[in-house]
Amino acid sequence: MPAQLKTAGWYRAAAFTLLGLAFSFSLTTLIRSLYGYTPLIDGAAITIVSMIAVPFFFLVGLGAFDYWFYWASGRPTRAEDHASHGAHSWRDYFKVNTDHKVIGVQYVCTTFFFMFIGGLMAMMVRAELAAPGSQFVDGQDYNSLFSVHASLMIFLFIVPVFAGLANYVLPLMIGAPDMAFPRLNALSFWLLPIAGTLMTGSFLMPGGAFASGWTAYAPLSTTQPLGQMCFSIGVQFAGASSIATALNFLVTIITMRAPGMSFWRMPLLVWANFATSLLVVIATPFIAASQFFVLLDVALGFHFFDATIGEGRQGNVVMYQHVFWFYSHPAVYIMMLPGFGIVSEIISVKSRKPIFGYRMMAFSLLAIVLLGFTVWAHHMFVSGMQDWIRVPMMITTAIIAVPTGIKIFSWLGTLWKGVIHLDTPMLFALGFLTMFTLGGISGVMLAMVPFDIHVSDTYFIVAHIHYVLFGGSLFTIFAGVYFWFPKMTGRMYNEKLGKIHFWATFVFFNLTFAPMHVIGIQGMPRRVADYADQFAAWNFAISIASFFLGLSSLIFLYNMVNSWRNGKKAESNPYRSLTLEWQVSSPPPIFNFDEIPTVVGGPYEYGVPGAVHAIMGSAKPEPVAAAVGSNTESQEG
Amino acid sequence: MKNPREVTRSDVIMMIGIGIVASVVGIALGLWIDWFPAAAATQATSIDTFYDVLIIISVPVFVLVTIIVLFSALRFRVRAGEEELDGPPTHGNTRLEIIWTAIPSIMVTALCVYGASVLSDIDAAKADQIQVTAYAQQFAWDFEYTGTNGNKFLTEQMYVPCKPTTEAAGEGAPCVGRQIKFDIKAVDVIHSFWIPAMRMKQDAVPGIVTHTKVNPIRLGTYPIVCAELCGIGHSIMRSTIHVVTPARYTAWLAAKSAAKTG
Amino acid sequence: MEAASIEAADTSHGHGDHHGPPVAHHSSTVDAQTLGMLLFIVSEIMVFGGFFTAYFFIRIVNGNPWPAEGEELPQLIAGFNTAVLLSSSVTMHWALEAAKHGNRRGMKLGMLATLLLGSTFLTVQINEYVHLGFAPYNSAQASIFYGLTGLHGAHVFIGLTLLLFATVRVFKGHFTPDEHQGIEVPGIYWHFVDVMWVIVYVSVYIL
Repeated sequence: MPAQLKTAGWYRAAAFTLLGLAFSFSLTTLIRSLYGYTPLIDGAAITIVSMIAVPFFFLVGLGAFDYWFYWASGRPTRAEDHASHGAHSWRDYFKVNTDHKVIGVQYVCTTFFFMFIGGLMAMMVRAELAAPGSQFVDGQDYNSLFSVHASLMIFLFIVPVFAGLANYVLPLMIGAPDMAFPRLNALSFWLLPIAGTLMTGSFLMPGGAFASGWTAYAPLSTTQPLGQMCFSIGVQFAGASSIATALNFLVTIITMRAPGMSFWRMPLLVWANFATSLLVVIATPFIAASQFFVLLDVALGFHFFDATIGEGRQGNVVMYQHVFWFYSHPAVYIMMLPGFGIVSEIISVKSRKPIFGYRMMAFSLLAIVLLGFTVWAHHMFVSGMQDWIRVPMMITTAIIAVPTGIKIFSWLGTLWKGVIHLDTPMLFALGFLTMFTLGGISGVMLAMVPFDIHVSDTYFIVAHIHYVLFGGSLFTIFAGVYFWFPKMTGRMYNEKLGKIHFWATFVFFNLTFAPMHVIGIQGMPRRVADYADQFAAWNFAISIASFFLGLSSLIFLYNMVNSWRNGKKAESNPYRSLTLEWQVSSPPPIFNFDEIPTVVGGPYEYGVPGAVHAIMGSAKPEPVAAAVGSNTESQEG
Repeated sequence: MKNPREVTRSDVIMMIGIGIVASVVGIALGLWIDWFPAAAATQATSIDTFYDVLIIISVPVFVLVTIIVLFSALRFRVRAGEEELDGPPTHGNTRLEIIWTAIPSIMVTALCVYGASVLSDIDAAKADQIQVTAYAQQFAWDFEYTGTNGNKFLTEQMYVPCKPTTEAAGEGAPCVGRQIKFDIKAVDVIHSFWIPAMRMKQDAVPGIVTHTKVNPIRLGTYPIVCAELCGIGHSIMRSTIHVVTPARYTAWLAAKSAAKTG
Repeated sequence: MEAASIEAADTSHGHGDHHGPPVAHHSSTVDAQTLGMLLFIVSEIMVFGGFFTAYFFIRIVNGNPWPAEGEELPQLIAGFNTAVLLSSSVTMHWALEAAKHGNRRGMKLGMLATLLLGSTFLTVQINEYVHLGFAPYNSAQASIFYGLTGLHGAHVFIGLTLLLFATVRVFKGHFTPDEHQGIEVPGIYWHFVDVMWVIVYVSVYIL
């Protein structure tokens, strides 16, 4: 046993977790005794300190910091032995692993796990709303359910699942053996289950789970029971994970591209993650700050948001919303741009055509990043902020539809006259195109201040975000998971089940969320456990549709699990794709490439006779090959 | 035999035709659906008209995208024997790209101009106002009026006067009312003051006073709803606004003032 | 502080079955660790940005007096502290230059001096907290004061920890004129912490 406690792993992690609890208990009690607070032992204080400290102890025990401790203590850093690289059995997925492919799979599985938990909560919300009046939860529990649902879906599913998919394919796509900082990559992943455990576990807190929505507006959030801290602290871990991954992507993309892989030869998925990572690095610290404020207000009695403390010394309530939305609006692009990248890959390969207007696609991503920082206050048109901010924010928000429109039209241009393979990933990509257009249209409507005054905080908003995040992001996630399933697992998914899954999802998604536009405009506010009788019929229909929508995800689950175990063996390049990840075996070899490939042309030269994206092996770029590359580039519009 | 991949002139005409028909049907449907509750203020009328314009502009955009997706999926899908076929290597088309940048830009600019004008319209202050202070607290609304005797009193039900423009003065009769100006204050956490029938909404924020205005145009009783999550009783935080004839309003005000003094 | 491991890992290349990763291609003249640190600093600046937003709203938008009535900020002591921290940037630079020239004595002295000055700063700061006479719960301004200076103090602590690691390695004989990233990268962070202090000092104590 002692040997097991010395080596990194779950036994040591358990021991360190206990150690962390003891540490938190002693630290809190010590400080309270120094200050002479009574009672000496305070459960809430210990819990808050534990929520911050114990995760670090756990990570140390698990081995996420071992290498850095070696470095810090000045011991010679071991020549890379790659002991923690690659997975040989399923157990390796439960260890700190530095292989970006293993981490990618860890990410995707973990995030889908939390998606199912969050989805279950959505089902409970819909069950409560199936009829007016109180069904089976009270107001506080109801508020908890939708709060945790949204937080899990956003911070534990959509944001990180994209990081997971990109983790897997991005280094392959740019011809790198791994990410730039593999150990940081492992740490980023392991922060996620911690955040998820905190958020899900908040139901066990006295007073219930956090119940102030995923937006956690102060001062409601600063007057909530202890469960609220699970959100404030959980978001810090998820945010740290997000920032670390984004740093890693940026450094990897900038410094580790294969020879010949200029920025204008990068696949759009790489471009999309480049843009997303910029957003994450710049914006995510703001939600960290907003939750620091809440944490300090609650735990240490600060007064950032206390408007009642007295004239000349009061806090500012609207400030929370500015800081929060300065992250959380860019966050919707963080949840959308990687999906744009996925869809670009799929539509090009499955239409057998080059991406239409490749450069405009890349530029529009950057335009969205820039504009994304100038629109946050469109969430605050009725918040009581200064009136003059409204019109400028309306204009910037409406303008952001232009680069988004460019992308949609360019995808249509790519489809046009292509040879379209309508399999599951492509169906999801096309479903995304139409549903995201709807979400975009309602987005432009919401940008219009007068209309927004009426529908803000109503079910119209709920409909809009689900068209954007479900019909938009989740469809691209499904598309991406099906598309790269053969690469990640080495097996083919079941095409028939995939198509059934798509049609079930598509139909019930619309039946669930389209009517929400109507009841929102008619006057049903969001986040209510009970509603006026006039909305009863619509809500009943929505609930029934949502249950079928929930069931449809089980088809996906079955398909994935069963295909992973029993699916047909996948070829290395089943889609005749040009990009680099398909030029290696499925799943790829442990270090991706034997030799770094040399890139000689654009990534989407389908239909160009003799076009090659990259030469595998150690081939030196020949003058001829270089000429081909510049030719294809000059053809772009 | 005709190449099924070829897009002929008649195909384009057919797509345009279907597109026009679908847009017309979509717009008709969008305008026919009874989206909003009955409009009880001039603000509501302006916003409803604005929404109709949004529908008219939005439907064709959605139809355009959907028709191209459907046409491509049907016409260009891979057929037997085409498994190894690639599409034409089109990399882009500068003119098209300029068009689909320019047209949406013009559209959203026009919308913004219209939106800004509607906004200044619904925000416009009138000389003749009734001032009411709305207090929001978990989980109830209180409204503070100035009584006939100059004293202030609190009430949970709102009454506002509106002079009928027709003989009939029952529920739903058109009327002209004085502008109601709300000063909105929050006692504990953020709430949001919303009268769906009048389309106006404004958060109640601790520490500051926020404002909104409505010009009633329809007699009747309308719900006041809290639209910002404010805690366990958020969904029951409601009140009512009664738009009544000036005579009834005066009587109500006098009674309330008297009750206060008494 | 780990990217080098991949590049350094090809020593076993060509030895029988054991096949390490291929050498990654360097597609940029910027060094990976330096770039990572710079991006991290961008993130850090934004954290401070969030706190400065709070400062802006509570001081400017609310129109609260600064500092709040009955609260006083010791400009002079903090000014002394500023000088201490700024001089630590100089000693940090000295250590790096020494490393570049292979001057081991200079490296050790430079790192020790930096550690010492940084710790002095923290000690003075904590002492200031003890004697200020107001607590974060006295007013929103006090919350901002403790929030901003505390956030900065936490960064000084992180910086000192990184520098401590580097110092340990200096004393164990690491770092050569060609290989001194372990000093340079935490050094960049340390300079950031110093510059950030000047901004905090000016906006909190002076203005």
